[in-house]
Amino acid sequence: MEEAEEIFKEFKEHSVAEFFKKNRQMLGYSGKIRSLTTVIHEYVTNALDACEEAGILPELEVTITQLGNDHYRITSKDNGPGIPKKHMGKVFAQMLAGTKFHRFIQQRGQQGIGCTGCTMFAQITSGKPTHVETNTGKGKTYIADIMIDVKRNSATINNEKEIESPERGTKIIAEYKNIAFTRGDYGAGEYIRRTAIANPHAKIIFKDPNNQRFVYERAVSVLPARPTPGKPHPKGLDVDDLVSYAHSSQERTLKTFLVKSFDRMSGAKAGELEKKTGLDFKRKPGSINWEEAEKIVAAIKETSFLAPSTKELKPMKEKQIREAILNVLDPEFYSIKSRAPATYRGGVPFIIEVGLAYGGNSGKKANGDTRTEIMRFANRTPLLFDSGSCVITKVVNELDWKRYKLKDLENIPLSIIVNMTSTYIPYTSAGKTAISNESDVYREVQLAIMECARDIKRYLSGKRKKHERRTRKQTLVRYVPEISRALEDLTGKKKSDLELKFMEIINKKYGDISLNGEEPKEEEHKPMQEDRRLQGIEAAQEDLKKMQEEQEAKENEDLED
Amino acid sequence: MERKEVMKRLKNMGTEVVEELETGNSPSIEVPVRTLSNIKFNEELQQLELGASTSKRSFMNVGQSRKFMQTMLIAAWLEKDLVGKGLHTSLRDMYYALKRTIPGTKENTFEDQHSESDPIIVDLETSLGALREELHLNADVRGRVVGNVVIEDRGDTVNWAKLGSGGWSIPSNVEDITIKSVDAEYILLIEKNAAFERLHEDKFWKHENCILITSQGQAARGVRRLANRLSTEFKKPLYVFTDCDAYGWYIYSVIKWGSMNLAHVSDKLGTSQAKFLGLTMTDIEKYELEGYTIRAKDMDVKRAKELLEYPWFKNELWQTQIKLMIKKGYKAELEALSSKGLRFITKTYLPEKIQAREFLP
Repeated sequence: MEEAEEIFKEFKEHSVAEFFKKNRQMLGYSGKIRSLTTVIHEYVTNALDACEEAGILPELEVTITQLGNDHYRITSKDNGPGIPKKHMGKVFAQMLAGTKFHRFIQQRGQQGIGCTGCTMFAQITSGKPTHVETNTGKGKTYIADIMIDVKRNSATINNEKEIESPERGTKIIAEYKNIAFTRGDYGAGEYIRRTAIANPHAKIIFKDPNNQRFVYERAVSVLPARPTPGKPHPKGLDVDDLVSYAHSSQERTLKTFLVKSFDRMSGAKAGELEKKTGLDFKRKPGSINWEEAEKIVAAIKETSFLAPSTKELKPMKEKQIREAILNVLDPEFYSIKSRAPATYRGGVPFIIEVGLAYGGNSGKKANGDTRTEIMRFANRTPLLFDSGSCVITKVVNELDWKRYKLKDLENIPLSIIVNMTSTYIPYTSAGKTAISNESDVYREVQLAIMECARDIKRYLSGKRKKHERRTRKQTLVRYVPEISRALEDLTGKKKSDLELKFMEIINKKYGDISLNGEEPKEEEHKPMQEDRRLQGIEAAQEDLKKMQEEQEAKENEDLED
Repeated sequence: MERKEVMKRLKNMGTEVVEELETGNSPSIEVPVRTLSNIKFNEELQQLELGASTSKRSFMNVGQSRKFMQTMLIAAWLEKDLVGKGLHTSLRDMYYALKRTIPGTKENTFEDQHSESDPIIVDLETSLGALREELHLNADVRGRVVGNVVIEDRGDTVNWAKLGSGGWSIPSNVEDITIKSVDAEYILLIEKNAAFERLHEDKFWKHENCILITSQGQAARGVRRLANRLSTEFKKPLYVFTDCDAYGWYIYSVIKWGSMNLAHVSDKLGTSQAKFLGLTMTDIEKYELEGYTIRAKDMDVKRAKELLEYPWFKNELWQTQIKLMIKKGYKAELEALSSKGLRFITKTYLPEKIQAREFLP
């Protein structure tokens, strides 16, 4: 009896820690680098969610300080709504490990255990509690050190105190060992950068262990709309889904079950299905068998429905993506496409948004070269790991970039930003780091990237043409003084008059091209500049002046030499 | 052509360019095409002639604008600094006189003499209808001559028979020389200087009563013009003696029919009555010189094949010789004759050939 109790006690004592250890891979705590990025992800996600839920424009500050080998202190500060004292334990120290999957709603996190995982991870690697300071905006900051009591699976709160402070928000300080910071693709810095791109409404300050400070300013001062729960769309519904939904339904008839369970399923549509299948839709939904479900699914395929309701989907929207791209990447050219909502598998609606940014800070800098980078997002959350198994990477790799004059992705300053918005992201694994290769998702991502790539191609070929024309103009202009002097010698006409004549005929053909290449940067988005219309003699005089100035400058230089 | 006329034509070129410019069009100059496609062979006159094709060199065409600029620079310089001042100079001098960095750039007006400034002079010669000499530009000075001829050159009377071992050095411009007397049966023009020295030492010209000229390689304009004048003005046959290879034969071709580059002045530089004396492929067999031949290289064969295609080589005798060379795959220098003894050429070969009138057309 005693023995059994001991065993049971031990089991209980270790259960929480055991759960964490067993599942840490799944939870993102595998490998030193990834573990650190996961901690940052949890803190940032929680802060953003909390702010948005409270209708506050987020302002985040994340600091990583190195304390020793594989030993860091992470500080996360936000201007969120703060955490009421009574919820502290739940947020930071309770392993709910529950799933939110039963809710058909678009969410950022979906990780389930969030901050508690961090607290646990800090505790088992450094032995230290997580320090929290939180203020709900009522004039008081509540301060405490939190640990998880593994015996009771609840919070142990120490050093509690309350101080007067007007500043709302939450600050978390925790120490971790067995983690590592990197500046690479998988590091916290990159995670923050991508978060900033996907969340232009947030201001994020990031200090890395090398004391480098990155500030991502807020580009949009409107909060994204909150997602709401929704219903699956009938298109793409499979037989198994239908049978299981129907069998667990409390509705009295098959017809009401269909109308109430599925998006865009009106009474008339259900009637249409009834006619097509020849089934009695007044039966209890639980009474349909596999064959009958097959008939219904087949009939759905032949029936047209409105596109899935997108009210539960809150994509980033083109304007926000544009602001984010301009803010973070400052590109020379960009193109953004937002696809119409589509569905995959069991009628799960999703929206693909793609932004292609070229030049400026676009692309990934490595060893002095800049190459194409893929930024993957699921519901605005950056996906950093397992890029190889992600449908987005697959589309990018399989696309015939040559068609878009972008043949050498290794050497192009290009950022490919793809955000999948869905009530349910089809991750490849529980790690939630890659989107699985659903054919409908593949197609949408492909179409959106292709549309953007076409724009880039158009821009680049225009740019190349312009460059060629400029070189030509420069060549011609270069010879004007020489030829004019020779003609002055031969004919007695004044050199300056001849030069002007030559500039005139040059500008008749090349009046739209400036000599020094200082064209307006994003002319694709700006109306034609007034001076671009300046042609003929005026442009000629201008160019001539510019040229003479340059020559004088050069001659002065020569004299000084 | 009068100096004034040359200057007038240069000025006119400038005026035409300015007129075109003032109408708001891209100024251009017309230059006769000098590629094989525009070279015609006049059967009757037996000389190369320039066809009617011209090419436009337009300022606004970026591929031609540099050449246009260079042409203008040269034209102005010729008019103002050379012909205008009554000076003469060489192509190389002109190149250096005009080469400079275009202000405010890293580009030079001229980068290379042979590929840039020289061809423009030929352009100007053809488009202005003026000889290089008339533009006050001297051609290469190369070639020597001996024989019973008395001339007057810049006030000096020169007897070619009394110039010792060196002979008279042929200037680039022989236009203004007065040929006072010629006492010779024929003119023998030799490609190689060494053979000329041999014949001169052996007093071949005295015994045979002929004029000996060496071109020292490809015949310079002075040599060609002089041979033309001697042969035409004094009705003397001209025999040409070169190596037995495509290059030697082409030297003959240029002397007789004119060159492609100077097809516009073939009448002055080409001597259509010239005959080819040797060395021929037949000579090699006849005089048993096979042991002294050189294996023909790819370039030799390639050049020989080109000769085969030239209309002026399209006669049976030449075709046979050229084909024989391609077939045998060897060539020979005229010094190969020395294998029969140093004076074989003087005593046997030349007298025999001339006696038998064994010539190629």
